Amino acid sequence: MADETSKHPKRESIKSSVGSIAGQRRREKAVMVGKQRRELLMRTKRLCRVGVSSDSANVDADDDDMMMDGEQSILEDQTLKAVQELKNAVSYQGKGAMQKRVNALRELRRLLSKSEYPPVEVALTAGAMSTLVQCLSFGSPDEQLLEAAWCLTNIAAGKPEETKALSPALPLLIAHMGEKSSLPVAEQCAWALGNVAGEGEDLRNILLSQGALQPLARMILPNKGSTVRTAAWALSNLIKGPESKAATELIRIDGVLDAILRHLKKGDEDLATELAWVVVYLTALSNVATNMLAKSDVVQILVERLASSHSLQLLIPLLRSLGNLVAGDSHVTSHILVPGNEITVNAIQAMIKCLESEHRVLKKESSWVLSNIAAGSIEHKKMIYSSEVVSLLVRLLSTAPFDIRKEVAYVLGNLCVAPAEGSGRPTLITEHLISLVGKGCLAGFVDLVRSIDTEAARVGLQFIELVLRGMPNGEGVKLVEAEDGIDAMERFQFHENEELRTMANELVDVYFGVNYRLDS
Amino acid sequence: MAMEVTQVLLSAQSVDSTVRKHAEETLKQFQEQNLPVFLLSLSAELASEEKPVDSRRLAGLILKNALDAKEQHRKYELVQRWLSLDVAVKSQIRAYLLQTLSSTVSDARSTASQVIAKVAGIELPQKQWPELIGSLLSNVHQVPPHVKQATLETLGYICEEVSPDVIEQDQVNKILTLVVQGMNANEANIDVRLAATRALYNALGFAQANFSNDMERDYIMRVVCEATLSPEVKIRQASYECLVSIGSTYYEKLAPYIQDIFNITSKAVREDEEQVALQAIEFWSSICDEEIDILEEYGGDFTADSDVPCYYFIKQALPALVPLLLETLLKQEEDQDQDEGAWNLAMAGGTCLGLVVRTVGDDIVPLVMPFIEENLSKEDWRRREAATYAFGSILEGPSPDKLTPIVNVALNFMLTALTKDPSSHVKDTTAWTLGRIFEFLHGSAVENPIITPSNCQQIVTVLLESMKDAPNVAEKACGALYFLTQGYEDLGSTSPLTPYFQDIVQCLLNVTHREDAAESRLRSSAYETLNEVVRCSTEETARLVLELVQVIMQELHKTLEAQKLSSDEREKQNELQGLLCGCLQVIIQKLGVSEATKFAFMQYADQIMSLLLGVFACRSATVHEEAMLSIGALAYATGPNFAKYMPDFYKYLEMGLQNFEEYQVCSVTVGIVGDICRALEDKILPYCDGIMTQLLKDLSSNQLHRSVKPPIFSCFGDIALAIGENFEKYLMYAMPMLQSAAELSAHTSGADDEMIEYTNLLRNGILEAYSGIFQGFKNSPKTQLLIPYAPHALQFLDSIYMEKDMDDIVMKTAIEVLGDLADTLGSNAGSLIQQSMSCKDFLNECLSSEDHLIKESAEWARLAISRAISV
Repeated sequence: MADETSKHPKRESIKSSVGSIAGQRRREKAVMVGKQRRELLMRTKRLCRVGVSSDSANVDADDDDMMMDGEQSILEDQTLKAVQELKNAVSYQGKGAMQKRVNALRELRRLLSKSEYPPVEVALTAGAMSTLVQCLSFGSPDEQLLEAAWCLTNIAAGKPEETKALSPALPLLIAHMGEKSSLPVAEQCAWALGNVAGEGEDLRNILLSQGALQPLARMILPNKGSTVRTAAWALSNLIKGPESKAATELIRIDGVLDAILRHLKKGDEDLATELAWVVVYLTALSNVATNMLAKSDVVQILVERLASSHSLQLLIPLLRSLGNLVAGDSHVTSHILVPGNEITVNAIQAMIKCLESEHRVLKKESSWVLSNIAAGSIEHKKMIYSSEVVSLLVRLLSTAPFDIRKEVAYVLGNLCVAPAEGSGRPTLITEHLISLVGKGCLAGFVDLVRSIDTEAARVGLQFIELVLRGMPNGEGVKLVEAEDGIDAMERFQFHENEELRTMANELVDVYFGVNYRLDS
Repeated sequence: MAMEVTQVLLSAQSVDSTVRKHAEETLKQFQEQNLPVFLLSLSAELASEEKPVDSRRLAGLILKNALDAKEQHRKYELVQRWLSLDVAVKSQIRAYLLQTLSSTVSDARSTASQVIAKVAGIELPQKQWPELIGSLLSNVHQVPPHVKQATLETLGYICEEVSPDVIEQDQVNKILTLVVQGMNANEANIDVRLAATRALYNALGFAQANFSNDMERDYIMRVVCEATLSPEVKIRQASYECLVSIGSTYYEKLAPYIQDIFNITSKAVREDEEQVALQAIEFWSSICDEEIDILEEYGGDFTADSDVPCYYFIKQALPALVPLLLETLLKQEEDQDQDEGAWNLAMAGGTCLGLVVRTVGDDIVPLVMPFIEENLSKEDWRRREAATYAFGSILEGPSPDKLTPIVNVALNFMLTALTKDPSSHVKDTTAWTLGRIFEFLHGSAVENPIITPSNCQQIVTVLLESMKDAPNVAEKACGALYFLTQGYEDLGSTSPLTPYFQDIVQCLLNVTHREDAAESRLRSSAYETLNEVVRCSTEETARLVLELVQVIMQELHKTLEAQKLSSDEREKQNELQGLLCGCLQVIIQKLGVSEATKFAFMQYADQIMSLLLGVFACRSATVHEEAMLSIGALAYATGPNFAKYMPDFYKYLEMGLQNFEEYQVCSVTVGIVGDICRALEDKILPYCDGIMTQLLKDLSSNQLHRSVKPPIFSCFGDIALAIGENFEKYLMYAMPMLQSAAELSAHTSGADDEMIEYTNLLRNGILEAYSGIFQGFKNSPKTQLLIPYAPHALQFLDSIYMEKDMDDIVMKTAIEVLGDLADTLGSNAGSLIQQSMSCKDFLNECLSSEDHLIKESAEWARLAISRAISV
């Protein structure tokens, strides 16, 4: 059985036969060819693009042409020609001038939509902007306006400096969103402006000072699906802040609040998503808007849509809006989300659904909403405490990623203290505290104390304080010690954050004795 | 509890096949019905001194096979089975095994040694049987020599079986001490000394710590070197094997010993018996391997870092080493060229010389040239052959500047020798040397061409003439023609070989028809050379390639006519079909590239397909790999029209996908599914249920070799690209597979290089699947269906980005997936991407990559994302 001769594989002779090596190489090559063809096919698919605007069903078939690498320079040459052609067409005054301009614009627009690397820079350097602005002049036919605005939309989608190049076109784009403009033209202009507003604060301020808000707001009033969606998207970009003025101004425009509620309630998911983002910015930035919305049906609508939708895209802004409202206006908790009301039950159910989803964002946002509800009255606390939410939260506190755990800790912490009356330490709700500690959540809080995030550490310390103070028979001291809480607090002994340092040191001094600290 | 098994074990070795089969059946039943008693009975049999040696040996063998198998999956089952066995039974078996080590019957001891090692291989990593090593080591000094020999043998096998981290350093020290003492010249018993030397070979991997300690290392090295001088040839051989292993494992520790090693190895090469001399040469070959690796890591730039510094042992030994190796070249065997497996002093010496040349480059040329010049024209064929071999050996390594002048002088001489030399040995080596000249000094990248319009015709003529020579010479001439052709690979529309194309093809076809073409692998070399000639041909000869199609088709047709073949004939048929299919594959690929030739070729497509189906039908359980590759080429050439072949072909496709055992066949078939997807596009839809079912089965199997799994994932992507939104129904099966594989491959901490390489392959497959699926759904109304899977894909990108160990290929595929996600899901992906932890960093890193492919992909992804966020 044991091989008596050398067990080691013989070295391959330098003089080996060509057949086997060559066959091997040939087979490897055959497999390689397949891989290269896969690459090529993927490339083709990636570079294939349909027309920018969904309204323009008349996109020519060759818009779908793929662009290959080497053709980029050809594309740039074509663009140069197209800009020149457009300039000629604009200065030409003879017969068929209008058609000539439209054709030239369409050619340029197609070139700008054709590749993944649209030749925007080339077009701008060739002087396309001033000519395009000329094409937007009042009294121009709709077709010409549409094509020009479309070209500008594509340019605005480019790099920041290319977006800024649109500055001379902005007043006219805004003007063409007026009541007398045709819908496709207005929508295309809104699209271009949305791209501009998305670029940054400076451009947003310019647009606001030029009066872009009013016409855009007016566009969301009717029930014209795609136009409303585009306008709402542009609006959410426009009011993004950080100034709150635009948001306040928007909500005060006649009919806007109603339109928002109507589309949010009845629109399809895509439309509702855009409107929900508008609500997010309104409630995040403007107290006026928050108050007005809080007193409307919006909470009801948000809760309903939260319950019925499965679109992550929609759920995120819905949740964030709800959270902003709960946090921003006490009216919501004191008058709408009142324990016992059907809407409150539905809201809690919606939070459960989000907590149970697999999306981290939903978990985090819903915990945040809950922490704001839990900050409310004793009744709110009891309501949450007696729902299924608690067991979900306790599990999340030990298993979820850090940012979710932190939000969860706020909820659980809030459940254990009664609303503060006057100053001083918050009063405990001992029943909640004992039960939550019994479910094992102290470990999770001690863990937060160890985190480098001072806010999380503070929540952790606060909870430890509750445990030390509130657990009957001085049991808190043993519990905290058993979870290595002292060790966790000791790292604050010389911490740079004074508040945390004082808090931790006081807790150790009071409950474990000064000597304890010095000795160890 | 043990049962009497002697008789049945003896019967199982009976010459009477009925008796034998009956006994085998009985053993099988016994094993199935009561495994514990079965194993216990076998171990009792092995341990019992009263039993005949034959039954004991077989008992041990069956035990060993019950613990280990070559096949990974089976091995795993056996390990689990052993671990779940009753503890009392196991400890009784172990006791029997240890007891057998004291047997006076050497066969029984040796068998027990191996079984113990197998048990140790299973149990030690599980922290079971912790007392094993201790009990082997105790008393070892008081036992009779035959027990000591068995103990050493067992320790050696254990070291072979388990990995070094399983045994405590303290025990390693004791094992090494015992082994080295056993090797010592004071050890009077030869068997003990041999067993110790062989055990050291296996234990060397455990000796890291000991080799770092100067005193211990000195001692081990002294004992090994002494053992190379033992009067016993087996001990000398075994100790040289240790030395070879030390040379590669502890290269950086060798400096103090290299002079002594040179002295003893050169004596061994010159004077010792062949098996010892071969190991002595092997020592220097493996030192070359090490230095070549290190110098490659230096990358020719001496400021660069390598983990191990180069000690330039070869360079220093050169003046003495080169003459030593040149001497070996003169020790040829008469018939070595006819014997494919031949390995002797001359071949080992020449191979080592080739490695030395690669290690030192130019420096060696002046040391070898005098030998070549002196012997190339000598009367004695051995001298001429040795000189030619030496010349062939120095062609890879030195700079062209150094070699070109010499080769220019020698070329004519070589061509003459190939035609005129009376010795077939010399012609064989001459043709090989010409091949090396063409391989290393000819091609579009070479500055001063060796081959010019004036000598090209002569070269071709000589090579073609040699193809009528003895099979070994003709085979080497094929090799030379192969490299000659390859050197003209990318010349564009015209090639210097065009005028000879027809003659070359005809000549190669004639070679394949030679009656002795089976010798020296002549037929396969001729076909592969023909393939290279076709592959490197230009459009000037497209018409001739088209004619070749018919010839090859006829040949293939002939193989299908033969009936009622013996298993030997069947194997020959199979091999020939492989060569012909390989040739078809190259031709189809060549003709499919240009529209004009493709059009002309298409008239044969139906016939070729029916021939390939015929080849598939020749085998029942598996499919022919080469025929499969031809199918891939044909599918690409025929495009959507390939659909008409699918009804007949599909069953073979499925058969290939089911072939777990020959995983290369499975892997190739998976690749062909991709080719067919690209050819058929949505016309593949009717077959997708079957294909997807099979692929999912493959993925869930733990029998399938892991290397097939990455291509299967890529294949998901191919299918999704082909059928677009129709992939919908497979999402619920494919996506969880992707997700769990993604989780497995996200982290590589603690993995070795091989594992990291595999992990990157797996990641690449997963990413290609995602890309294919996202792009497949692009512009479809059903893109929404993918939204729930997007967060996971992003998480996967996050985690591999954090891991910081992806290779460039994965980086490119990964950034493309990010773009695909944005491209297909648009605004739906926008917010997810904005929230992702590392997408932005990852994108920026790719945008500033030096690899232009990554950069290009990242530019595209950036655009797709900016659109998704702004729209």
